[in-house]
Amino acid sequence: MGVNRLDLSTTIGNIRMKNPVTVASGTFAYGQEMSEFYDLSRLGAIVTKGTSLKPWPGNDYPRTVETSSGMLNAIGLQNDGLDALINEKIPFLRNFDVPVIVNVVGHTVEEYAEIAAWLDNVDGVAGIEINISCPNVKQGCLAFGTTPEGTAEVVSAVRARTSLTIITKLSPNVGSVIQIAKAAVDAGSDAISLVNTFLGTAIDPWKRKFRLSNVTGGLSGPAIKPIALRMVYEVAQAVDVPIVGMGGIMTAMDAVEFLLAGADAVSIGTANFVNPMAAVEIIDGIEEYLQSMGFGSAREIVGTVAES
Amino acid sequence: MKGVYDCEVVAQSEVAPGVGRTLVACPEIARQAQPGQFVNVRVGHTTDPLLRRPFSVHAAYPTEGVFSLLYVIVGRGTELLRKFQPGEKISMVGPLGRPFDLGDSPDAEHLIVAGGCGAAPLHFLCDVLCAKWGCERITVLAGAQHRDALLCEAEFRAHGVSVGASTDDGSYGHKGLVTDLLRDHLALYNPSDTRLRVYSCGPHSMMQEVARICADAGVRECQVSLENNMACGFGVCTGCVQKIRGAAKGDNSGRDWHHERVCVDGPVFNAEDIIWE
Repeated sequence: MGVNRLDLSTTIGNIRMKNPVTVASGTFAYGQEMSEFYDLSRLGAIVTKGTSLKPWPGNDYPRTVETSSGMLNAIGLQNDGLDALINEKIPFLRNFDVPVIVNVVGHTVEEYAEIAAWLDNVDGVAGIEINISCPNVKQGCLAFGTTPEGTAEVVSAVRARTSLTIITKLSPNVGSVIQIAKAAVDAGSDAISLVNTFLGTAIDPWKRKFRLSNVTGGLSGPAIKPIALRMVYEVAQAVDVPIVGMGGIMTAMDAVEFLLAGADAVSIGTANFVNPMAAVEIIDGIEEYLQSMGFGSAREIVGTVAES
Repeated sequence: MKGVYDCEVVAQSEVAPGVGRTLVACPEIARQAQPGQFVNVRVGHTTDPLLRRPFSVHAAYPTEGVFSLLYVIVGRGTELLRKFQPGEKISMVGPLGRPFDLGDSPDAEHLIVAGGCGAAPLHFLCDVLCAKWGCERITVLAGAQHRDALLCEAEFRAHGVSVGASTDDGSYGHKGLVTDLLRDHLALYNPSDTRLRVYSCGPHSMMQEVARICADAGVRECQVSLENNMACGFGVCTGCVQKIRGAAKGDNSGRDWHHERVCVDGPVFNAEDIIWE
């Protein structure tokens, strides 16, 4: 039409995204419910709910509690397991023109590796996000993600069983997120996503009880954005692979901040709960921002933040 | 497609001390809503409070394109909701959730058991049952702590349905619990009468008792509407779960229960499926 379309696309490993916006695992289920609000093909990619080899029942209720500008969750990775993913969820998602990244969880290194091997042959899966950062399960998961050695062990085991793009999702609940990121990249991770939720808790002063059955949960939402942004910036400085940044992104300007800090793509998480249209509104908002600032692509602003 | 609607608040009223009623214009929701369904309301304009609040639909007027919410003002969310002025916009997602199953028999006996603000969705249910099959075979049993908290009682009576009321303090009706009324009422029925359908909403412990009494009396159809805390309200966060009898599909671990989401698999459940705790 004579108007130069902005190039919003980006690439994470072998995954080509039409725009830099995806959704955070566990805030979008497997897309079925969200597809009643908008066409999932609008998204740059979809990251599924964390999926284990067998179905997991998750933690007892209550699992969520609202906090100041945020929320705690302790779902405990309730999911229907790999068979349901392959036989029901992925076939549904194949109806849309959007790359699907499966978030993978396990109690043991072998479980991660086995799921990766299965997914390698599934039509409609573009990549794997290794979840070594969920704070709400008692065994595995975060136990691997808190040390460089544990991280390397899981990532290399998965790498050995799949040629799919591997993204490793990091926890902020560690001493040095940079060390963990480097260990993941050295073990063969094609990209890094961060941050998962911050470990926290809430107490009901009248009942004098913890508000979550699990006692602790993961904090998400706008309350964590400044810390998440700082961590994304630090990791982007330290590794050479693409970064998927997330943590409290509610608006397009929040997303732009993460891009400027060095994220190649961003994930929308808790915002999906508050506004089911958040992800598509953020895509439009990023485009408007780039247009108004005179940029031709999303890629050209990545990591361009300057000191003030 | 489901929608996020910017609805106009049409009227605000306090129908009893500490009980708010908000009338909202939204043709889409008013047309689609079924008894037992809810809307998820953005009560604030900033990130605090962050999450939406679920409210069951209390009445819907499809031709006028309006519907109402009825709620006890108990906390921050309800305080904020009642401060919306007529003419202001309020963001709502809905209608959400699995509605009450009204059955398909014109000669069923319908028994509605309401506790406190649990009367709100049951009011809508009563409206629809009356419109569908007439009010003759509907009985409402409504309980509350005291007279002021006994919601919708006048509206139920105005329909001409048979109404029994109870208050904990005896300020109105039977002094005691609504479950006392239920026990007495069920004594009038032959337990093998499959025409009886019970619908309940209220405090968790009340519904648990309703479920037990109905099971003991041999009632085949007892539906309850749960009110668990929710983060999203449309099925993606898995926060609002209820333990339900039976193994999950594909779960061969020997576990004889599974979690269902109150927001999409409910809020209305068959009482006999619930594992009460």
